[in-house]
Amino acid sequence: MRLGSALWIALAGFGAAVPFFGSTYLMGVVFQVAMWIALAQSWSMLSATTGYLSLGHAVFYGVGAYVCVLLTGIIPFEFAILAAAGSAALFAALIGLPVLRVRGPYFVILTYGLSELVRHVVMRIESALGSFGRMIFDVPAQEVLLWWMVGLAVLATLGAYAIRHSRFGAGLAAIREDEVAAQTIGVPVTRLKLLAFIASAAIPGAVGGLALLRTSYFEPAQAFDPVISFTIVTMALVGGTDSVRGPILGAMGFALLSELLWSTLPQLYMIVLGLTLIVFVLFVPRGLSGLVGRIGGAR
Amino acid sequence: MKGPTRLAFAALGAVMGLMAGAAVAQDPVTIGYSIARTGIYAAAAPSQENSYKLWQTQVNAEGGLLLPGGERRPVEFVSYDDQSNPANTVRIYEKLITQDKVDLLAAPWGTPMHLALAPVLQRFKMPMVGNTAASVQLRTVAPGYIWFPTSAIPDAMGAELAKMMKANGVTSAALLANELPYSQEFRSFLIPALEEAGIEVKVDESYPPDIKDMTSMLVQVRDAAPDAVVAMTYPADAFLFAGQAKELGLKAPFVLSLIGPTIDAYRKANGTAVNGIVSSAHWSAQADKWPKGRPFFDAYVSAFGEEPDALDSALSYMSMEILQQAVAKAGLDPEALREAIATGSFDTINGEVRFEGVQNVVTPTGFVQIQDGKIELVWPESVKTADYAPKQGW
Repeated sequence: MRLGSALWIALAGFGAAVPFFGSTYLMGVVFQVAMWIALAQSWSMLSATTGYLSLGHAVFYGVGAYVCVLLTGIIPFEFAILAAAGSAALFAALIGLPVLRVRGPYFVILTYGLSELVRHVVMRIESALGSFGRMIFDVPAQEVLLWWMVGLAVLATLGAYAIRHSRFGAGLAAIREDEVAAQTIGVPVTRLKLLAFIASAAIPGAVGGLALLRTSYFEPAQAFDPVISFTIVTMALVGGTDSVRGPILGAMGFALLSELLWSTLPQLYMIVLGLTLIVFVLFVPRGLSGLVGRIGGAR
Repeated sequence: MKGPTRLAFAALGAVMGLMAGAAVAQDPVTIGYSIARTGIYAAAAPSQENSYKLWQTQVNAEGGLLLPGGERRPVEFVSYDDQSNPANTVRIYEKLITQDKVDLLAAPWGTPMHLALAPVLQRFKMPMVGNTAASVQLRTVAPGYIWFPTSAIPDAMGAELAKMMKANGVTSAALLANELPYSQEFRSFLIPALEEAGIEVKVDESYPPDIKDMTSMLVQVRDAAPDAVVAMTYPADAFLFAGQAKELGLKAPFVLSLIGPTIDAYRKANGTAVNGIVSSAHWSAQADKWPKGRPFFDAYVSAFGEEPDALDSALSYMSMEILQQAVAKAGLDPEALREAIATGSFDTINGEVRFEGVQNVVTPTGFVQIQDGKIELVWPESVKTADYAPKQGW
């Protein structure tokens, strides 16, 4: 475990140090990997701990991006990012109670539907305002954005770790195993679920803001793209959901693989990526994390 | 596990060896671009990429891209799929510039991609002639390393369309608009222009990009019986609109479908039903004014077995012509090239092109109409290849 922690710290250090020795392209890759780690790890705070599988995390990413684009140029970007995180958390708090009343496949469908609803509402608001995609000028330097993103990945990982190893996490695990039984023995299920929902929404909000500053262009259909939600779930599942390292491994593995494939096999990469996913789902059900554990155990 | 891995590495090594060998044999000029091979814009991208490929074949057949000293070097493309996502476009161009170290850049498909790229080009001081992008927002891009040859900018189009409708006796109109940005932007400039021209808007509806059925909207349009139906479509819903308008028998003599009708497949799929449909484009192969247009059209048809899209294929080819002429004058140095593009005048399939700031200031904003399966320019007067004719049923 200690070796593992050292490894993760070294990894985060490497990510943050890339601007000093790496190319612009490498910085782009690290930014991307850190972004997916932050998203998958945040998702796991709710979905891996409670078993409530959210297929709508793009909504928090989108809300963050939207708030950030509205505030950029008015307040310094650091505050815009914080506001993005805050708004996503606030949004989760507002919708949490009704949304978390449903379980299982209904929760999956509801979160997905909600994300699509918000996407269309924002598209309508934007077109009513006479805005057709917004551009941002004077974005912060790329290394600054990279440090923020690596910071968010670390924060999300620490958060996920803290939740899993706390009383709060034990309560969430009880909800996952049997919500009715948990309620019967006095676990405050509604409050815990809501807190987990809010916790898992805040960082994706900030990530959305940062990703927006990186692209310097906002368009609702892109910011609330459901593919973001699908990718988060895929990464978490490929990585494995029963430990904190799972989402990191999944996000790294998936993001690096897709990077390697699109840049080396531009014509074939979607096919290879699809095949990889099928192989994983069929033969490695516990994900990369389970695979690493198994190899370690055999030794 | 070991056997297959070794085999894979051996195969990879062989492929890389081949690629390296080819690179050494001749010293090509590399041109990088990203394109939407997958995702929501994938349907529109081939009309752009085909133009690039045609241009490449033609240039290489002449012995290569002409440089100022009279030297010619073959052209090679480096391209990646951006999955219709502007965030990927940004990363791909960073890779093209810093890792692949391409000599020149060609444009990706779509307005969002172009807008997202502007700061990247500025940062690396690499010039790129855009093509398939149109938005009033282009004017907010600081002039520098990107240019937009299109004249299909929504504010000018709204004003021109209202003029054209009024000139053809339209007094009332029904508006249907896709929720995607370009359609909405056009709609926002069209409505005031129609008001000013004294044309009454009887129906004004917007619909989602992935719409599967327009029946209820079209029934509403049919019952309102306007002189004109302006459908602000993207390619996918342009097909749906044509099919369902025909089924319901819309009677309006003036029917416009914004993006889609200029694609060859649209006319092939709908046949004579879409004769008379008006659409957005500023080029036609029928124009004698632009002598390069017809040879481009014929070469495209013989290479790909379909007609070029009067909007995207034409713009993409124009952007490569501009690049080619600028390189012949200034060479491959990015700063010299930027200067040449910004100050030069270029002879293209769409006539002369000259930039002021980021915009082409020569090509007039126009509209085309499908007549006997051909794309004819019917507006404005100065460049038209045929007279506008009211639509005679479906």
